[in-house]
Amino acid sequence: MARVKFLCDGDRCIECNACVTACKNENEVPWGINRRRVVTINDGKPGERSISMACMHCTDAPCKAVCPVDCFFTTADGVVLHSKDLCIGCGYCFYACPFGAPQYPRVGNFGSRGKMDKCTYCAGGPEADLTMAEYEKYGANRLAEGKLPLCAEMCSTKALLAGDGEIIAQIYKERVVKRGYGSGAWGWKTAYREGIDV
Amino acid sequence: MSDKKKPEGLDRRGFLRAMGAGAAVTAAVPLTATEAQAMKPPGDEGKARYRESEHVKTFYKVNRY
Repeated sequence: MARVKFLCDGDRCIECNACVTACKNENEVPWGINRRRVVTINDGKPGERSISMACMHCTDAPCKAVCPVDCFFTTADGVVLHSKDLCIGCGYCFYACPFGAPQYPRVGNFGSRGKMDKCTYCAGGPEADLTMAEYEKYGANRLAEGKLPLCAEMCSTKALLAGDGEIIAQIYKERVVKRGYGSGAWGWKTAYREGIDV
Repeated sequence: MSDKKKPEGLDRRGFLRAMGAGAAVTAAVPLTATEAQAMKPPGDEGKARYRESEHVKTFYKVNRY
């Protein structure tokens, strides 16, 4: 059985935020929530790197471990999903997650929280596949359609990989072997001034 | 005042007594008639959704470039 994963190629990500926009549009993500975001380090300096982050669908998910109502479940292909019918919006998962994946819609004044929302790997939720109830609560179920998450599928530089963990790891390995790394990579000294070593 | 006729049907005390008896019966029924249920009924929510379709194979192919 395949174990699905995300893998972001830090050498290819150009911080265009198209993955963030695509995710929001595909899943009708509520205002104030981004299921995916692009993190940049050393912004504007030599050695700047960007990486697209969302729920990492952990094998031993901390969000699942701390949930007091046990609303999380892991599918057979390794996607961590949750039930919005069971979620009480306590916020424990938000504090437990090292990636900041769980987000809460603001449903009213005085800090009241709604049901937790997070990346579903475009795999819907516990409802029946490809139903309106599933779409309204969790967004698209592209995996059931035989597709992959839209963020990865429409990445312009093909930085964001999704799919069977073993296959995308092999693809990344092939890339690294072919291009070298940092200043040793093909075209590096053309794109950047000589003497910048990363 | 004393010869005022009482309205027909249940008076206030009778009504409350009847309500109390009804509530007791209602409370007793679930204890005997229903069985304990799991919070989440077992379903196919944990099934694998990923499959290696032609679409997915094409994605892998173009990402090797």
